Amino acid sequence: MVQLYRKKRIEITVEAARARAIIEMIESVGAKGYTLVSEVSGKGNRGVRNDAHLSDVFRNVMIIVIAAEEIASRIIEQSPGLLENYAGIVVVSDVEVIRDEHF
Amino acid sequence: MDTLLQSALDNLISPMVLFFALGVVAGWLKSDLAIPEPISKGLALYLMLAIGFKGGVELASNGLGGTVVAAMALALALSFSMPLLAYALLRAATRLDVPNAAAVAAHYGSVSVVTFVAATGFLGYRSISYEGSVVAMLALMETPAIVTGLLLARRGMSEAAGNRAPLLSADVTREVILSSSVVLLIGSLLIGWMTGKDGMTVMAPAIVDPFKAVLAVFLLDMGLLVGRRLRDFRAVGWSLVAFGLYMPLLGAMVGLITAKAIGLSLGGMTLVAVLAASASYIVVPAAMRISLPQANPAIYVPLSLAVTFPFNLIVGIPLYYAAAQWIAGM
Repeated sequence: MVQLYRKKRIEITVEAARARAIIEMIESVGAKGYTLVSEVSGKGNRGVRNDAHLSDVFRNVMIIVIAAEEIASRIIEQSPGLLENYAGIVVVSDVEVIRDEHF
Repeated sequence: MDTLLQSALDNLISPMVLFFALGVVAGWLKSDLAIPEPISKGLALYLMLAIGFKGGVELASNGLGGTVVAAMALALALSFSMPLLAYALLRAATRLDVPNAAAVAAHYGSVSVVTFVAATGFLGYRSISYEGSVVAMLALMETPAIVTGLLLARRGMSEAAGNRAPLLSADVTREVILSSSVVLLIGSLLIGWMTGKDGMTVMAPAIVDPFKAVLAVFLLDMGLLVGRRLRDFRAVGWSLVAFGLYMPLLGAMVGLITAKAIGLSLGGMTLVAVLAASASYIVVPAAMRISLPQANPAIYVPLSLAVTFPFNLIVGIPLYYAAAQWIAGM
């Protein structure tokens, strides 16, 4: 049986223009990595968001971070300030991973 | 007036405007017709490369005179100052708050590369030449308006936003100055200028004859984008839509007068009018979203993309051309 390790998974859907600031914050609080999904679309309180491909203005991306609880809570604390005036959804869940040293 | 009507009609039934119209209708009716994004990006790069190169060759054959310097200065002056006019009108005639008015003002000081390219197509149909320096003006006018817009926003919001962060972060400055359109326009302008007529012999089969056809295909794509955004009008409101129509006319007037003052040709005057009349919908929205997030992109993007761009393409270009003919004849 493979050993599993408990981690937090933070999923941040944010408009593309703000992705860089979020990623910088994620790295600065000590997360070892993240996954970026560059084309996500859907509907929220800013209406339908899709890839009107002229610029990034109406485009969303999804940033996924898996991290230990302590680092995850720092990301969660810093997120609201960075998301002010921007489209953004932050979802946190408990997950289990198989390679502890990666996160 | 006969010639104005004639050239307006000619413009209306040109392939470029008709393909644009097809795109608008298809986009509005939510057809699944779409030009894949990498292809439309490629077409845009092709158009900018062709325009830049032709401008450079033109500069090489006519030399770098005082007009070139005057044109550069005019480009910077127009881009820095047009947002002031736009901002004053917006604050007086619409209900936009400070950040939104400042953001919209920045769009109208900056330029639309596509409108400029369409105008060179319009002149091309009529075999009207233009100065290469006007292409350099296009590249120079994209960014200064962003600075003015952000200054207007900062001045108006000073009591609320107490932070004294730099106006433009290093990242945004680099993105704006090194945006693909600026790099490609200036780069191909320089290559055209360095290689001159010989270079043109090499490039002509790719960038001269196919140019108008590629432009028509690209405008089909622009039409699709505009058509899909037509439904966003509700967020914009009538006083703003009116601004999107009279602001280009005022801009064109300023452009014509100043272009005449620095001694540009008929083609050059028409293009400067188009530059001053057009509004950005690619570079400026991206910069505003990062530097002025309080402003709502659902206002400034539809206004410049779905109101001012089609207006300039269909009505503006022939009108500014007719006005330039009239001024050139004075």
